Amino acid sequence: MYKKKDLSIDFLGIHLDSPFVLSAAPPTDELEIAYNGLKAGWAGVILKTTSVEGNPVELKYPMMSSFGPMHKKVVGLGNIDLISAYHIDEVERRVKALKKAFPNKMIAASIMGATKEQWQTLVWRLKKAGADLIECSFSCPQGSMGEEPGKMLAQSVEATEKVTRWVKEAAGDTPVLIKITPQVTDIVEVAKAVKRGGADGITASNTVPSLLGIDIKTFEPYPNVFGKGAYSGLSGPAIKPLTLRTIAEIAKNVDIVISGNGGAFNWRDAVEFMAVGASNVQFCTLPMHYGFRTIRDLKDGLAHYLMDMGFNSPMDIVGKALPNIEPQEELPAPITKAEINEDKCIGCGLCYAACSDGGHLAIEWDSNKRRPHVNEDKCVGCAMCMQVCPVDAIRMKEKIDGQLHYFVEER
Amino acid sequence: MEEIEKTLTKEQALIEAERCLYCYDAPCEKACPAHVPIPEFIQSIRSGDLRGGREIIEEAHPLIESCGRICPEESFCQSACTRAQIDSPIKIRELHRYITDHTDPAENLELPPANKGKIAIIGGGPAGLACARELRRMGYEPVVFEKKQLGGVPAQEISPTRFPREIEQKEVKFLHQYFITDVKDGKVKSLSDIKGDYKAIFIATGLINELDLDIPGVSLSGVHHAREILRRVKAGNNSGLGKRIGVIGGGNVAVEVASVLMLEDPKRDVEVIYRRGLKELKAFKKEIEEAIDVGVTFQFLAIPKEIKGENGKVSGIVVTRAHLGEPDESGRRHPEPIPNSNFFIPLSDVVIAIGQKASDFFPEVEKDRKGLIKVNDDMMTSVKGVFAGGDIVRGASTVVESVADGKKAAKAIVKFLEGGE
Repeated sequence: MYKKKDLSIDFLGIHLDSPFVLSAAPPTDELEIAYNGLKAGWAGVILKTTSVEGNPVELKYPMMSSFGPMHKKVVGLGNIDLISAYHIDEVERRVKALKKAFPNKMIAASIMGATKEQWQTLVWRLKKAGADLIECSFSCPQGSMGEEPGKMLAQSVEATEKVTRWVKEAAGDTPVLIKITPQVTDIVEVAKAVKRGGADGITASNTVPSLLGIDIKTFEPYPNVFGKGAYSGLSGPAIKPLTLRTIAEIAKNVDIVISGNGGAFNWRDAVEFMAVGASNVQFCTLPMHYGFRTIRDLKDGLAHYLMDMGFNSPMDIVGKALPNIEPQEELPAPITKAEINEDKCIGCGLCYAACSDGGHLAIEWDSNKRRPHVNEDKCVGCAMCMQVCPVDAIRMKEKIDGQLHYFVEER
Repeated sequence: MEEIEKTLTKEQALIEAERCLYCYDAPCEKACPAHVPIPEFIQSIRSGDLRGGREIIEEAHPLIESCGRICPEESFCQSACTRAQIDSPIKIRELHRYITDHTDPAENLELPPANKGKIAIIGGGPAGLACARELRRMGYEPVVFEKKQLGGVPAQEISPTRFPREIEQKEVKFLHQYFITDVKDGKVKSLSDIKGDYKAIFIATGLINELDLDIPGVSLSGVHHAREILRRVKAGNNSGLGKRIGVIGGGNVAVEVASVLMLEDPKRDVEVIYRRGLKELKAFKKEIEEAIDVGVTFQFLAIPKEIKGENGKVSGIVVTRAHLGEPDESGRRHPEPIPNSNFFIPLSDVVIAIGQKASDFFPEVEKDRKGLIKVNDDMMTSVKGVFAGGDIVRGASTVVESVADGKKAAKAIVKFLEGGE
């Protein structure tokens, strides 16, 4: 009924009908579920990470837990999942079946090995099965099956480069993505190692090592596996700002294609990921929470955004924000003052409380009228008041040499 | 009769608590006559420390079980809620009730020794109990004179469908146990009836007598006073009324007694007969809605003329149709009778609920023309050392306003006895 905007992109030579693909995770661990995801309109799947025979996968249940305020339980989702329990033979069959059913979708596979032989065997078998792309998990936080148990492969620059090279040797012209962890001292060094190793791109980034919570009566952790618990990989909205920084930092310093992953929960998040350098965006927690139907809003929202902005392709967004991201010391130094919109103000006094106890005593409070007033002599422009205003009635007015600029946060 | 309103579920309470903006200098708290620190107790719901929430409310308000149920929140805290400017006000009373329903009275009390002397408190209703508790907290020994039972109107007359007996008793028992030195049931009609060594007196008798309708037939059998019926039902007895009841009046008591009688026997017809219209009803919105829900009907713009009887027993009422004229001194439009519009409504019983009046007790203190006791800014009457508060000063009002009076009077009494602020 409505004319749809073309959202297709070319990702490492692969046609994607939108930038939105399902990441290597539970939604791609059953043939039927992956099939449903593609049918619902996702542009591609990366099947859940597989390994070779001889590496038994011992999953522990329950494996999921979450945190957030009551009405929004899943601000962060944690899992102690491991790689797929399915044998490589089965994953091969699935690649073939999905490729046959969806010739125009991206069917990718994710792998994890220990030895050179394992990595290369996996690549060879999946490539032969017809996988469009191979993603290598260098970063499963819940116990690695890499060569140093307990440590993630992508936490070692040398190992990252070495294993990337092994994989790419076997992959040949099949594109390879290396999925890294944000939990490193210097993400740029790791990204450079991936590039030196010859990979086609980086998936930035995996879940963040975390501890979801503790039952304060029994002192048992979450998720609670018969009284015991382990560290979880954290995903969902909570990690979006971390991912955004990871992507930006790689994009600014290394010339490599990036697949954004980790914390995108709607099309706006995806646009942000792309604006700092991601060429496509992977999703997992969103469809796990609300189902594959969420693809409609992702695509519609992106399409309408592109039209409003006058962009032809999603690729027009990629990297758009990067020139504006600078080290703190390089930033301009405007004279900044809070500006309160009296018509929007509802008189809750939260800005006054924030400025009084956590700012600069620069907001005065008229108790009778219930209205705050900015004392510009004291206001340094920190923007704490703006953060607490429930109706976005405060913006920051920035001035340099008579030129005006405003800081407002679009929601 | 079961309580109608259900307590919030944990999910509802948390979502509602999360909506609270936690305003600085909170307007809800200022609008509450007892100044309950509302954002603070809502924060304790968010954090999961309901006991802390109860302590916060109890500090400010001794009758916290009643107010979580019967406070007309739309007139006080909720009318000031900032959140209403975004969408709708926080359900403050229901959050308050969520706390009281999930906690017991805090018995970890730390009270000073009661050694500063006895204060006589005449009347064990909300004003008297609030005053007693404040005085006990400041080291005095409150002695309450009450000829019925402690708790006042909420305990004795408010429908068990809105305020169940066991909940009310939990509240009153707690106050009695910890804050009242003695309860005397002697009938006190004048200051000279108060025998003993009391440092001050607080009169909080409330309004005891009900107004009578000035029309023929009021002495027929089958004509009742509303509060009498409410007391009977609240005490667990049957009202004893028949199948077609007319309730005359338009205030909270009229609507309440109509609901109670309807709930007692849903096969009855209960009709509120009121001389003005729906807009002029003085009852709280929630009570009107509840009455309509249970099946009470309303006969608006009907002025009672004569109660008719057969063999000394009520057979019906003659009313005149009215239309609304100009606003009168109450600010509401005045009902004017339409000539030759009399009609007859057959009834088995007539319940009069047109208001209450002050008694002629305490002739020693100065009163206004309605018989209400006059007090100064410190709640002191014309007699030095004698204070008064609650309905006997304000006229018919709410529990929370009486509580506010009791608290204020206690502070004034201490100031009077000890000097200073």
